[in-house]
Amino acid sequence: MAEKPQPVRVLYCQVCSLPAEYCEFGSDFEKCKPWLIQNAPDLYPDLLKEADSKEADKVAQQLQSTALSSGSADGSAPSGGASASKQEEVKRLPGGKIKRKEKQEVVIEKIVRNKRKCITTVKGLELFGIKLSDASKKLGKKFATGASVVKGPTEKEQIDVQGDIAYDIVEFITETWPDVPETAIFFIEDGRKVAAA
Amino acid sequence: MFKKFSSEDVSSQNQVKASVQRKIRQSIADEYPGLEPVLDDLLPKKSPLIVAKCQNHLNLVLVNNVPLFFNVRDGPYMPTLRLLHQYPNIMKKLQVDRGAIKFVLAGANIMCPGLTSPGGVLDDDVAEESPVAIMAEGKQHALAIGFTKMSAKDIRAINKGIGVDNMHYLNDGLWKMERLD
Ligand SMILES: [Zn+2]
Repeated sequence: MAEKPQPVRVLYCQVCSLPAEYCEFGSDFEKCKPWLIQNAPDLYPDLLKEADSKEADKVAQQLQSTALSSGSADGSAPSGGASASKQEEVKRLPGGKIKRKEKQEVVIEKIVRNKRKCITTVKGLELFGIKLSDASKKLGKKFATGASVVKGPTEKEQIDVQGDIAYDIVEFITETWPDVPETAIFFIEDGRKVAAA
Repeated sequence: MFKKFSSEDVSSQNQVKASVQRKIRQSIADEYPGLEPVLDDLLPKKSPLIVAKCQNHLNLVLVNNVPLFFNVRDGPYMPTLRLLHQYPNIMKKLQVDRGAIKFVLAGANIMCPGLTSPGGVLDDDVAEESPVAIMAEGKQHALAIGFTKMSAKDIRAINKGIGVDNMHYLNDGLWKMERLD
């Protein structure tokens, strides 16, 4: 008797349903990009570079706007000098062990699958000394839904919450964990990082 | 074939008799010996096998509402792409070059030059009129299920026209029909 072959698990894109490696040939590659950066970064290394350079641009922009301390010309970038200095403050929080220079921020992203169903991922709470298992329980309870701690694509743990709770979640986080300032919470929208505040 | 396929094209869905079920199992086992060890998991003897008859003499074989195989008239059964992705080695493979990917994904049949160019790969064991997995240059997973119009050797020698009919491809109607309820 031949040996039983194990089924191969293919990474399907939750945006366009194709195997992730074929997203570039799908009907709307742009829409897949945020999901791919999160879930299949090694398939599209260029995307990551793209995102990184965008990020770098943003930082540069931020530095510039603090230096000049004039109103930013671009209204869509709500990154004033105030938020930058606040982030400096929260660096000295209890817990002590600051791993390298990881930016202390919470990143929230809504991931759509099958058109209607979606999950909201929350990353970075642990950077504020919050226990993820606790946080996951609280989130599940608050939004009456399933929430779990999972290993993200970069091997870092994140919380996946069933359903679209992206907009209520900010208030909940800042109320439940006062150590997390609203200015440190970001959304990923269309592959771009947007401040929640 | 599945370009505009949807559940509206299904004209009837019937649980088949035990004898027919045996026949279907047998022809699948004959066509894909590599599947035999998992055939009991895929087509459990106890779960009813459903055959959905569709337009253009097309039949779908379903278990628990999931399409697993299809065939045309009495032709060979071919796996759906989702099934093939799980068991990629059950079919012989031909590979198209990168330039052909977008045409295949638009439903075009596979032209010989797309298989004979440097990015393509031909398996000389592939005969005429046989089901094959269509792979693509630089990609790990199949993007289509084809039915050869010429043998691999002829594809290489003739090198023009349609070499393989595109039966089922990523994002066609059958791909989108993960379940038929
Ligand atoms: Zn995609």
